[in-house]
Amino acid sequence: MGLLEWGREKLGWRPSGADVPILDIRFTVLDTELTGLDERRDDIVSIGALHMHGGRIELGNTFKALVNPRAVLDRRTVVIHGITPSQLEEMPVIEGVLASFGEYVAGTVLVGHCLSIDLAFLNRDARRLTGTRFRNVAVDTLSLYGWLRQRHADHPAFATGMPGPGLFDLAAAFEIPVEEAHTAIGDAYVTAQLLQRLLPFLTQAGVRDLSSLRRVGNPKRQMANLIAPDGHTHF
Amino acid sequence: MLIDEAVRFLSQIPPFQFLEGPLRRELAQSLTMEFHPKGAVILQQDGPVSDYLQIIQKGMVKITHRPKGGGDEVVVDYRERGETFGLVSLMGGQQRTTIVALQDTVCYLLPKGRFNELVGSHPAITEYLLQFHLTKYLEMTSREIQGKSLFLGSSDHLLFTAQVGEICQRFTTVVEADTTIRETARRMVEERQSAALVVGPSGEPIGILTDSDFRSKVVAEGEPINGPVSRVMSYPVVSVDEKDPCFEVVLKMLQRDIYHVAVTREGAIRGVVTNHDFMVLQGRSPLAFSEDIEHQTTLDGLAPVSRKALSIIGALLREGTRATNITRIISELNDRVVRKVLELAEREFGPPPVPYCWLALGSEGRKEQTFRTDQDNALVYADVSEIQRAKVADYFRRFSVFMRHGLIQCGFEACPANYMASNPDWCQPLSEWKRYFSSWISEPNPEAVLKSLIFFDFRPLHGDGSLAWELREHFGRLIPDYPVFLGFLANMLVKNRPPIGFFGGVAVERSGEHKDGLNLKIKGVAPLVDIARLFALEKGIRHASTLERLEALRGSTSLLADLVDELEYAFEFITLLRVHHQYRQMEAGTPIDNFIRLDTLSSLERQSLKNAFRLILKVQDLVMDRYKAFII
Repeated sequence: MGLLEWGREKLGWRPSGADVPILDIRFTVLDTELTGLDERRDDIVSIGALHMHGGRIELGNTFKALVNPRAVLDRRTVVIHGITPSQLEEMPVIEGVLASFGEYVAGTVLVGHCLSIDLAFLNRDARRLTGTRFRNVAVDTLSLYGWLRQRHADHPAFATGMPGPGLFDLAAAFEIPVEEAHTAIGDAYVTAQLLQRLLPFLTQAGVRDLSSLRRVGNPKRQMANLIAPDGHTHF
Repeated sequence: MLIDEAVRFLSQIPPFQFLEGPLRRELAQSLTMEFHPKGAVILQQDGPVSDYLQIIQKGMVKITHRPKGGGDEVVVDYRERGETFGLVSLMGGQQRTTIVALQDTVCYLLPKGRFNELVGSHPAITEYLLQFHLTKYLEMTSREIQGKSLFLGSSDHLLFTAQVGEICQRFTTVVEADTTIRETARRMVEERQSAALVVGPSGEPIGILTDSDFRSKVVAEGEPINGPVSRVMSYPVVSVDEKDPCFEVVLKMLQRDIYHVAVTREGAIRGVVTNHDFMVLQGRSPLAFSEDIEHQTTLDGLAPVSRKALSIIGALLREGTRATNITRIISELNDRVVRKVLELAEREFGPPPVPYCWLALGSEGRKEQTFRTDQDNALVYADVSEIQRAKVADYFRRFSVFMRHGLIQCGFEACPANYMASNPDWCQPLSEWKRYFSSWISEPNPEAVLKSLIFFDFRPLHGDGSLAWELREHFGRLIPDYPVFLGFLANMLVKNRPPIGFFGGVAVERSGEHKDGLNLKIKGVAPLVDIARLFALEKGIRHASTLERLEALRGSTSLLADLVDELEYAFEFITLLRVHHQYRQMEAGTPIDNFIRLDTLSSLERQSLKNAFRLILKVQDLVMDRYKAFII
């Protein structure tokens, strides 16, 4: 295997001539819990992730890690995710967690809801520790949702009326049961099920392979997709 | 948490709920979860086969089949939460149906490799699933699906799920009564049939002629072949409807000792089904056992066959056969063994000097045996003159002792309370038996009544039935004259209150060997049997079995008439619990008992049990009211 192919596989890319059908893509659906949203001050407290193969969620082999943050836990965020400082003292620091997380996501496409926030923190720490960042293809379920909403305005699940619906608004709209909200793995599971619900609509709209999926699901296109006034495709 | 959710789900649905906890968790690890939006075609007939067993977690799918030769699509089934699909495709290598999501559907997918391992280590799981899938498939009308080879030769299951119309030979030679024997034979050869139906003037079947009849009746007896076929046919012909379950037909054949049955559709002949068809279907059927029993000529040969017969109960249970049908089949097989031992005894001691009748007592008499426990029998013989008396008594004494030994050898243990014909008290001439019943009924005392109950459920099993009939008539006439006897029965009945606690829970044994156990026989079966017996004796109903007694009360003016359905259901349910419990013990090789632990029951089973107990309480209150003068 040449270096190029090796690199592509590691990153979840394939040669552009042989695009991967969505059903063959290996996804890592992830969520992180943070001490706060300030990149300069805050830290990751937990990472939860699971694998999907096409539309299938794999129940075994999930990734769950609590991380001991350098930043002090904000009293307000403790209320949201319920992780107390004393729990965290026992936990590994980010170095070890990030290394095994790197192995876990190798060769997969990353998926998350508002993924750019998670990626920002993950990449900040990765850069600090190893000088690199996660280069996997990334797809944001909120971007996908926004893109689809313009095409299915009449469908009840796309008529939430909110400009930027949160994960749990969408879970409710798509009748996805929510059991352990605000744990990283619990939210990743909801996100994975959201992707499952969106995939049939995407297929119907012609989004059938990795290259088109990464275009419409680009985390940076979140806002553009959500507010695009016309119905024209963003391919 | 994903796993916990899946494990929780699997622990609620059969057959996965029967797996051990750690294995269930391990199985959950290998699952994937897929979402099928409403309208999605999940599997397509003649398309790629399924690599997964799909377990529906939410939603509903529709399964359809398009017959090969064209024709309309047939809906095979609808499946919902807790049910599975994709099994036949997974195992059979061909996708024969189309499966569409009718609603947004979420499935857990069990991969083929893992499934195969499970099949290897837990055959019961496969049996459950096959049973589930097969039952559904067999309900289809599609001709192609009826091809049995499709199902991996798992034909064992078919006897209890298939309708007789599906296995009968469709085309049969039909001749009229005055057709000559030669002409009949010629037609059978021409039409390649092994049997011919003989019909009367209006087309109704009156007899049947098989290949073997030609050997035994025509050739061996030198019957002229120009004579009418009616001279050599077997008759009468038993007819069954094509929709009757195979298993009921087998029961009928067992009872009448016949090997051919005509199958009709709306009264018109459709074909013939033979015991051979069933044997082919089943491999090892109740009928096969019964034949085995028939063929034995010595006790040494009979004993192992008789003991083996119990092994079919597992198959019956797994087929989901109704519990009371299982107990009927057990009785049917046991009766055969007993008759066979009687035959051997008659051979051993020579023909009986006077007519006699062998009586089955208690649960055997009611045809409600679960697993063989012990012998309960008696013998009545015709009255004889004073001179002959000692000699005749001696014959039947030796005869009965032989019976007791023979039956022990065949797996029926001796009755600890000595309710056996080998006990001289219970081997008596008719007049003496009449005296027994007279005294039980006219001078009842609590102990005697309790002891006599078993005799009020007697059933003639072999010999001169008129002796039994006369005895029954005798006590039937007496009962109305001695209300105090029924009063005693009523009194005894209301004393055995169901164990319902103050807060509506079921009370269990507090201590001892069966701590936390509930004796199903004493607390569940006995009250229902007693209720049916009391009201049957009150109304002069002659049946011995509980269900027959209840059924006969249905149309009557009895207090119970309106409760018959509920009582029958309760009896059926408790019997099923008991049979399952004892079968598990038998398989585990532990001693068989009637103690069931409530914590092993599902909540539905517990609820049903509670309802049964409430029903018993209600009837006991009715009885108390009616017999209040006698209740002590």
